[in-house]
Amino acid sequence: MSTTALWGGIFLIALALCGVGLGWRLRRLLAHPSRPDRAPPRGAAWRGILYAFTWGMMPWAKESTRRHFLPYVRGVLFHIGIFATFASLIVSPWRHALPPTLAQVGLGLTLMGALGGLIGVLMRILDERLRALSHPDDDAAVVLATAWQAAGTAFWADPGALPFFYGLSALTLVAIPLTKIRHCLYFFFSRFFFGRFYGRRAVLG
Amino acid sequence: MSELVQQALAAFEKSLDRRLLAALEVCARCGICAESCHVFAAEPDFRNAPAAKAEAVRRFYRRHHDPIGRLFPWWVGAKDLTEADLDELAELAFGACTLCRRCTMNCPMGVDTALIMRAARAMLTAAGKAPEMLVQLADAAIAREENLELFREFYIDQIRELERELQEQTGDPAARIPVEKERAEILYVALSGAHTILPAAILFHAVGADWTLSMFEAANYGYFLADLQRAKAIARRIVEEARRLKVKEIVLAECGHAYTVLRWEAPNWFEDFPFRVRSIIEVAAEWIEQGRLPLDPAANPEPVTYHDSCNLGRNGGLLEEPRRILRAVVQDFREMNPNRAENFCCSGGAGLVAVPEWYEKRMRAGRRKVEQIRETGARIVVASCDNCRLQLGDLNDYYQLGVRVSGLMDLVVNAYLAARRSSPTRPAPIPTPAPVSVS
Repeated sequence: MSTTALWGGIFLIALALCGVGLGWRLRRLLAHPSRPDRAPPRGAAWRGILYAFTWGMMPWAKESTRRHFLPYVRGVLFHIGIFATFASLIVSPWRHALPPTLAQVGLGLTLMGALGGLIGVLMRILDERLRALSHPDDDAAVVLATAWQAAGTAFWADPGALPFFYGLSALTLVAIPLTKIRHCLYFFFSRFFFGRFYGRRAVLG
Repeated sequence: MSELVQQALAAFEKSLDRRLLAALEVCARCGICAESCHVFAAEPDFRNAPAAKAEAVRRFYRRHHDPIGRLFPWWVGAKDLTEADLDELAELAFGACTLCRRCTMNCPMGVDTALIMRAARAMLTAAGKAPEMLVQLADAAIAREENLELFREFYIDQIRELERELQEQTGDPAARIPVEKERAEILYVALSGAHTILPAAILFHAVGADWTLSMFEAANYGYFLADLQRAKAIARRIVEEARRLKVKEIVLAECGHAYTVLRWEAPNWFEDFPFRVRSIIEVAAEWIEQGRLPLDPAANPEPVTYHDSCNLGRNGGLLEEPRRILRAVVQDFREMNPNRAENFCCSGGAGLVAVPEWYEKRMRAGRRKVEQIRETGARIVVASCDNCRLQLGDLNDYYQLGVRVSGLMDLVVNAYLAARRSSPTRPAPIPTPAPVSVS
C-alpha cells in the first residue's frame, strides 16, 4: 500500500469520525426545545434571515466590523481559505488532471488563508484582550486550522506533500467536533435565529 | 454541590433551548463585540466585554454539557459553579448588562448575549440571588391583583381627580377617563402615576377613541428577574382584564419592557390571546398620518433629540414611528449618532434603574449616552420608555447636561393643544366618550 493510499484511508476514517461528532452535536441541539413565537410579526422572518447570511455579513454592515475592518477582513480571508482548503481536499485525488490555472487559484486561496491564520495566531498571542478571553482550546484551534491551510498550500505547490496534507486534514477533521472549530455548525443556527428574530420584528432585512 | 447551586443549575437547564444552546456554543472569542457594549465603552476593562460576561455562564455550561469540559476542564476554561460564582454572576447579569442586544447586532456570529444573561438572571432568581428591590416590586404587582378590592376605590378616586385635570386641559367638561368599560375598543395600560395617563387621555379625547383605562400598570418586574412564573402572573392581570372587558386592542403607555412583554412574549404564554397589542407610539403615529390630530410644531420650538429605547427600537421594531411623530410635532429634530437599531442603551434598562445600590455604576455606564446627547446640542431629550426617562434624568443631573427629559406623548399633547388654541373654530373630532362605569 502506498503512503498516499494509507493517508487517504486515515483521512476517510477521520471524515467519518467528524461526521459522527458533528451529527451528535446536531442531534443534541435539536433535542432541545424550539420555543414557539406566536406573537404576530411586524416584518418578515425570511427577510431577516436572508439579511443575516448576506448583507449582514459584509464588513460595512456593523459598527464593530467597520471599527475593526482589517481584523474582520482577515477573519473573512481566513475562512475563505478554510473553504478553499476543504475544496482542495476534495479535488486532491485528481490533482494531476486539473488545469494549472485552478492549481494556482488553489495555491493562492490556501496561502491567503494560511497567512490570515498566522496573523490570527499572532493576534491571540500579542493582544492582551484576546489573551484574556482565550482558552488553550481557542489557541490550538487557530493553530491547527492555520497549519491545515499551510498543508493545503504545500500540496498545491508540490504534489509530493499530499500525505502531509492528508495527515493534517485527518487531524483537523477529528478536531472539528471536539474543539472550538465546531462553531462552523452552530454558526448557521445562530445566524438563523438572529435573522428570524430581527426579521419578525422588522428591525433588519 | 450546595442547594443554592443546585437550584441555580436546575433553572439554567429549564432555560436551555436551541437558541440559548447555539448562543453558548457559537462564540469564537474574537472579542469584536467589546466596544459595542455601553458598559465597556464607558469603562474599557475587558471584563465588561459581552463575550467576557457570557463566559461566566459558558464556564459551567461546558463543565456540564461538553465532553471535553468534563474530561479536561482547564483546556476549554470549564469550571464547576460555586456560590461565590453566583455572587459574581449577579453583578454581571443584573448589574453590568441591560439586555440591550447591541452586542448581538455587532457580533459576526449573532451571539445572543442577552439571552445568556437572561438565563443567568433566571438562575440567580431561583437561587435567591436576584436584587431584592426587583423581587419586591414584582411581588407587589402580583399582590395588587390579589387585593384588587382593597385599592379599587382609592384608584377610582385618583382617576376622578385626574379627570378634572383632563377637563381643564381640553376645555370639555364632559371629558372622561373611563375605567372598566366593557366592550371598549382599546384597553389602555398606563404606568404608575399620572404622567402616562393624562397625555394619553387628552389624545384619546382628541380623536374620540373608544377606550378604557386598565386597573393595572404595564410594568413587569418579573420579566427583569427572568422569572417566567412571576412575569406571567403580572401579565395575566392585564390579559384577563382585556378578556373580561372584551376589548379589541391593548394599547400600552410609553414603556419599553412592557412592550416586549405584552407585544412579543405574552402571546407565547397564554393560549387565548384574542387582541392586538400596540404601543401608544404606533397609535399616535397612525392618527397623525390619518390627519386626525391637529398639530402645531411651534409649540415645541427647542431642539429635540430622540433616545431609542432598546426594548422599543432595536428589540421591538419601533424605529420610524417615533420619528414620524417628532417630525410632526417639533420644529427642530436632531438625530443622535448612532441611532435606531445601533443606538446606545441609556444604561438604566432591564431593571438597573430600580436598584439604588447600582446608581454609581449606571451613571458611569451612561457616559457614552451623555456624549451622544451633548453632540446633538438638543435642549430636550425624548424617550418613550419610563426607565430610560428616569435614567436620562439622573444622567442629566449627574453630568449637568442642562437638558429637559420628556416623553413623546407630552410633546404631541403640547402640539395638539397649541393647534387647538390657535384654531378654536377648527371642527374638533371630539365625540364625548361614554360616562364612567365601574363594575
